Amino acid sequence: MSKLVEGICPIISNEEVGPRLFLMRLDAPHCAQSIEPGQFIHVSVPGIEGHVLRRPFSVYDTDGKSIISILYQVVGFGTDRMTELVPGDRMSVIGAIGHGWIVPNDAHRVLLVGGGVGSAPLFLLARKLKEQHIDTDVVIGAQTLDALVTYEDFRNVIEHAPIACTDDGSFGVSGFCTIPVQRLLGTTSYDMVFCCGPEPLMHAVSDQCRDAQIPCQISMEKRMACGIGACLSCVVDTIHGKRRACVDGPVFKSEEVVW
Amino acid sequence: MGIDLSVNLGGLVMKNPVTVASGTFAAGQEYGDFIDLNELGALTTKGVSLNGWGGNDAPRIAETPSGILNSIGLQNPGVASLKQHELKALEAYTVPVIVNVSGHSFDEYIKVIESLESCNRVDAYEVNISCPNVDEGGMTFGTHAPSVEKIVGMCRRATKRPLIVKLTPNVTDITEIARAAEAGGADAISLINTVLGMAINAQTRKPELARVVGGLSGPAIKPIALRMVWQVHQAVSVPILGMGGISSGTDAIEFMLAGATAVAVGIANFIDPRSTMHVIEGIRSYCQLNGVDDVTTLIGGLQC
Repeated sequence: MSKLVEGICPIISNEEVGPRLFLMRLDAPHCAQSIEPGQFIHVSVPGIEGHVLRRPFSVYDTDGKSIISILYQVVGFGTDRMTELVPGDRMSVIGAIGHGWIVPNDAHRVLLVGGGVGSAPLFLLARKLKEQHIDTDVVIGAQTLDALVTYEDFRNVIEHAPIACTDDGSFGVSGFCTIPVQRLLGTTSYDMVFCCGPEPLMHAVSDQCRDAQIPCQISMEKRMACGIGACLSCVVDTIHGKRRACVDGPVFKSEEVVW
Repeated sequence: MGIDLSVNLGGLVMKNPVTVASGTFAAGQEYGDFIDLNELGALTTKGVSLNGWGGNDAPRIAETPSGILNSIGLQNPGVASLKQHELKALEAYTVPVIVNVSGHSFDEYIKVIESLESCNRVDAYEVNISCPNVDEGGMTFGTHAPSVEKIVGMCRRATKRPLIVKLTPNVTDITEIARAAEAGGADAISLINTVLGMAINAQTRKPELARVVGGLSGPAIKPIALRMVWQVHQAVSVPILGMGGISSGTDAIEFMLAGATAVAVGIANFIDPRSTMHVIEGIRSYCQLNGVDDVTTLIGGLQC
């Protein structure tokens, strides 16, 4: 992990892209130039001083120079307030934090599985895999078609069309990501599976990969306070004991996680 | 006009009155990207026990109005690891180090101190008899005056270094506990540790913390902390390390006026990892604006 820097970052855009889903672009060169796929930023949302903690967000995309974007879902007071921020407003951003996805040197074919807003930290990885000419399949799921907001971006980056799943069957496979994942694991020889989403999904995909004897990495989200490794709030139970999601993760080998 | 910000906390000389609240700062290395640790008056490390503890299950924190509730449970790798890694790393710095000491039994506190006596990177001890998040030891020792006097006395005999005793606010009469700590031989008293509380999710009908209850800290508890510092300042003659919701120089000055000799910055470090520096700068500018050339003249200066 490179040196952590706090920047006061102007918001460039902040748009609703789906139901309770927003894409915010920030001028954050200190993160844009160093971000690795799977790392996150820790943000102080202005105007919610009674809510004292920063909020962590995975980085969705970057131009590698100055701009980063985050895809966020409105889940509480902080994200609700964030939807009111407009271009020119500033946020304190600490980043880029954590250990991201590790692509094995000898990987030929990999599978990305993203549930809901969990597909966000996989997009930069998809770009990197494309640059490295690694054959990549993508399965992404959402409750409904209009929440499947990353589909087009993935389709533009990877060779194979992403396999989409919707809980209500409004697009693609009807049901959870685990359905196409099970089929793909049975028919394709993957070197690694990368998964991010709700914890039950990551648990299920981890089990599927274990049964198929394919290594898997997952990105854990835990309630976080300092975000820099000091407070021990965001611990994940692993076979090596409790590990910090913020700086030991957020990406862990799935076989090390104790569910 | 040069302003003297230095204070003496029961034998621990600090170049300014600002340290950190144990548990919010690990052993400092994580903050090295943001501040020069040597600029602190002292650095207080995360509570350490003899053989290490795993801490509580997650979720361990919940955000509550103007504060956070935590139930970390003193997760730590044990005193040998602290000496070998964190205190070793602190050899590269000159900042005075206060090691926070925890235990499940009276004996364990003594063994931790004995283990640290040979380490020259320890400048003072802060004895934690006030953590609300462990089942044995912690707060259970700190709520009973005879136990406080006994354990502080045992620690006193184990070291000649400055001995700070950290008190819990979860008692009926804080002055009774403070007097017991002083009688046991404490060189200084730190307060307050977190206030026992809980948070509930109405939708899931479950507690927000896995441990159900936890310790509240942050601006929400500042009035409680100020009141207790003020009461204890009138009850004992040893100096006080005040803490509870401090995030600015003004907050720190309020604690000093209430009777604190030094102050600790806690969860403000989570919001802004440079908070300690802002507090030091804020104290200095208050002194400049108010013609204070020696910060110790503020201690207990409250005009009622």
